[in-house]
Amino acid sequence: MSEPQADFEPKIVAFLCKWCSSAGSDLAGVSRIQYPANATPITIPCTGAVSPMYILSAFNKGADGVLVSGCHIGDCHYIEGNYLARRKMHLTMELLKFIGLEPNRFRMSWVSAAEGAKFAQVVTEFVDDVRKLGPQDKLRKVVSQ
Amino acid sequence: MINIQDIRDTARDMLAKGEARMVIGYRRGTRGMLAEPAFITDPAQADDLVWDPTCFNNLSLYLVHDKKFLAHMRENPKGPLAVQQRRSAAAFDGDDFVFTTAAGEKRLAAREVMADRCLECRAPYPKEHNLVFGEDKTGRQLEAPFAALERFEAQDAGQRWDAWSQHFDRCMRCFACRSVCPMCYCDECVVDSITFPVTAGTTAEEKATRIKWIERSATRSENITYLMTRAMHLAGRCTDCGECERACPVNVPIRMLNNKMEREAREKFGFEPGASIGGPSLVATFLDSDPGQFIR
Repeated sequence: MSEPQADFEPKIVAFLCKWCSSAGSDLAGVSRIQYPANATPITIPCTGAVSPMYILSAFNKGADGVLVSGCHIGDCHYIEGNYLARRKMHLTMELLKFIGLEPNRFRMSWVSAAEGAKFAQVVTEFVDDVRKLGPQDKLRKVVSQ
Repeated sequence: MINIQDIRDTARDMLAKGEARMVIGYRRGTRGMLAEPAFITDPAQADDLVWDPTCFNNLSLYLVHDKKFLAHMRENPKGPLAVQQRRSAAAFDGDDFVFTTAAGEKRLAAREVMADRCLECRAPYPKEHNLVFGEDKTGRQLEAPFAALERFEAQDAGQRWDAWSQHFDRCMRCFACRSVCPMCYCDECVVDSITFPVTAGTTAEEKATRIKWIERSATRSENITYLMTRAMHLAGRCTDCGECERACPVNVPIRMLNNKMEREAREKFGFEPGASIGGPSLVATFLDSDPGQFIR
């Protein structure tokens, strides 16, 4: 594990569900809530559509943390997508922890379209946690010059 | 003990009567003392079959191959295949492994010579079968299930990463683990770009815009993505035959990743891999009681 650096700005990849969390992040924006700009949002149709490969690939391509956020249980636009996501993401998280990746590098949250403040809070906390861990260099691709 | 002559006679009968199209079993290999898979269609060859502790390949792989092969044939040959299944019970007397040498009978403690997968085997007896030789040794477990996994997991995250980073560095992505796996059946492997089909109709644009999840180079980061993706794809399907670990030329403990997923499936989701034919898959089902405490 690398030492925390003072000027380190973590890169976060955020997979946001189109129906809830993406709208939630919009609400945080139009409500002018201040939160760190480290998260790069990627809108996905549903958290159930997030393949574990997306997460591995994000880490592989240099993400310091990955956030998956979607509708609350029972609110899925596709009825059961987030139930399936919960199971898949649990397995992914356990596997990442198993090989020794810090558990705080991967996070999942439920943020509805009305929870702009919660979205800002989730991102703020996540960025703080990842900042403490320093750059992620375990799964990152090393590009030789 | 299983009498090999019984197996040979049965195989010869089945082939002669046309009850089976082919018998897949083991015969003495051409190199050293190991057995190799044998594909017998001629009743006269049935005497080649052997059965001893060197028979360790998982032959169910060839049933998958056969199914794929038949799918591409215009006319299906009639008749089923007969498979000689491996079982861990061969040549054991109590907890000892017994073998005969020129100097007489020798004994070794099973714990010292057996693979982890065999020590931890829950079902050393085929669940689905038409014909079985030898007695049912279910319940003869020498170690608790997941014993090797638990020993590894007792370490802290730093130690686990130290161990795994070395394993990932060593992997050269020969794809032996994928080739021997009876559960890896995709013609196009998502983590291996050369398996993507290229036909006369494939346009340059299609080739260029294909998602390339990982590079072909066998570097640590790419190996991690490959091995972890493989573990995820086998989650809830792997029945822990342990062939991946046996086939690995650089001793990456691949089985441990699959074991981890199997234990999560059993303990957190109450899902038993391989318990039912045609039942729902692990990641296509859910329960209200699935763990969700990790979600903010």
